Amino acid sequence: MSNIYLPNLARIIKIQDETYDTKTFEFEFADPKVKQAFKFGPGQFLEISALGVGEAPFGLASNPNRPETFRVTLRAVGAVTWALHQKRIGDLVGIRGPFGNGFPFDEYKGKNIIFVGGGIGLPPLRSLIEPMLDARSAFKDFLILYGARTPADQVYQDRLKEWEKMSEIRFGMTVDVGDANWKGNVGVVTTLFPKCNLIVENTVVFVCGPPIMIRFAIMELSKLGFKPENIVSTLERYMKCGVGKCGHCAIGHKYVCVDGPVFNYKEIGKLPEKS
Amino acid sequence: MDRYILRKEDVNRWVEALARTQEVLAPTRVEKEIFFAPTQTAVDLNLLSGTATLPYLPAKDLVLPHSENLFHFTRKGGDYELTVPEEKKTAVVLGIRSCDTSGIYWLDKFYQENFSDCYYWRRRNNLILVTMACNQPVKNCFCVCCEGGPFLDSERDEFDIQLVDLQDSYLVECKSSKGKALIEANPKLFAKADPSAVKTREALEEKSRNSFQPDPTSYMSTAIRRITSNAVTPETWTELGEKCFDCGGCAFVCPCCSCFGVGYLNEGEKGCHYRFWDSCDYSGFTREVSGHNPRGEKGERFKRRFFHKLSYQYLKRDGRIGCVGCGRCITACPGEVGMPTVVERLRK
Repeated sequence: MSNIYLPNLARIIKIQDETYDTKTFEFEFADPKVKQAFKFGPGQFLEISALGVGEAPFGLASNPNRPETFRVTLRAVGAVTWALHQKRIGDLVGIRGPFGNGFPFDEYKGKNIIFVGGGIGLPPLRSLIEPMLDARSAFKDFLILYGARTPADQVYQDRLKEWEKMSEIRFGMTVDVGDANWKGNVGVVTTLFPKCNLIVENTVVFVCGPPIMIRFAIMELSKLGFKPENIVSTLERYMKCGVGKCGHCAIGHKYVCVDGPVFNYKEIGKLPEKS
Repeated sequence: MDRYILRKEDVNRWVEALARTQEVLAPTRVEKEIFFAPTQTAVDLNLLSGTATLPYLPAKDLVLPHSENLFHFTRKGGDYELTVPEEKKTAVVLGIRSCDTSGIYWLDKFYQENFSDCYYWRRRNNLILVTMACNQPVKNCFCVCCEGGPFLDSERDEFDIQLVDLQDSYLVECKSSKGKALIEANPKLFAKADPSAVKTREALEEKSRNSFQPDPTSYMSTAIRRITSNAVTPETWTELGEKCFDCGGCAFVCPCCSCFGVGYLNEGEKGCHYRFWDSCDYSGFTREVSGHNPRGEKGERFKRRFFHKLSYQYLKRDGRIGCVGCGRCITACPGEVGMPTVVERLRK
């Protein structure tokens, strides 16, 4: 019987500073067999541990079409993320997974796509954005909207610039509070909606960000006529095992770790607790 | 299913035979409480009886210990060596109660689905359960409302062996191949049961079923319906939650509660990751590192606990409600909000 609680060791091969408190780590498994067998889907997550300090779930933030190495983006907020932020290139961490249902990629083909990302909510969406861009012709209109508190809070700044220049997609960016150099939109991410001519018919909207941003985004999207089943998010919960056993991430009879983290708002609406 | 008669005077000879190849755990009195402890020969027949009181804790710690190491690590230069602690050998549990056996089979299903839990199963696969049917329910029992007892039925329920106390002897009902192996350890002690013994068993079960005190859990279906349809008001949950001390006692004594936390130790170059019993009653159970807590209110946590135990959504998922009617939450709860109190309140 395989051991669902025993991590595999993975080596940090690259560290990218994203903001003052957020870094992106690129890993590869130390065991070549594990490295070769590793596959993941968009929207899945990993349980990453600083051995002896703690373990926590993190959404995969890189392209599932290239699983040989993979990335997660972490903000240093608690014991585990602090310990991981101290790590250097070449250090080992424990990794279990991938876990979770992930985004059903093929179901979105032939549809218009809108991404609404807020702050550190962009990384889990990126595991879907990148493979979609690889298969751009399978999708119709393609719009990415990204909001951050300030310009200093934006993650993936190089990639954002590339998206801005891509002719095959539409892209909008905003910050809640600008600075001296900021020339773009100022305001929460929903203020971009009226400026972007959102197509409601045959569209899926992916929303991920802090709870308050998600709440307002959904409110505005509903006003515009988007149906709950076409609004998709990836939920987060305090989680220990990642495999539906420890009980921490349960919402109603759903476990975010195995039934999610990807849910649409029709499913979320049926749960007997607030999500 | 095979049925035998085992004379009470032969019990210790049987245990002796069993103890040669495996550990035998039997109910043992430690001051006022009863626990399952290893035994070689001297089983306390007063505790292996159809009228003995329930042990304070269900035997769930045999499959889900209070704390259990998942793996150890040793740092070697820049590398780590990870090792998994070794397995335990086979154990026979003698005199586990119907409700606690039902609880373990409920846990089996949960620990099998989605991802199979190897730590659970390597203990569980090595356990053989010899259930003791209850001839007389004790004060807080309501298993009869929860499919937890007082007798297990070979067609309806799972068990390896069930003992029925016939005063001078036990009727031994053997359902599984694991149970059969226990009989074969000393087959001379087991005589084929005749129809009169089966008749006595039926009469005892009937009498036991009829000696439950009228209890609010007779109205379980109302609670299930109202919880399932989310019809219980937040005010009611708050009112019930106000009586909860967040002590986690109900979860720890519950045969069906299985939530766990994970802890981490690091001493020098060595350390381990371990899991331990946790409870959804605790405010920290869902608190995130940002401080955001989806179930920060007591009433919400209380709702969570009973939604898990009684909602149809879970009933469908797990095949039965998450309560076997052992009544331990009544004994453990300092706020007097055990299962029957809650069911009674939800009926109103």
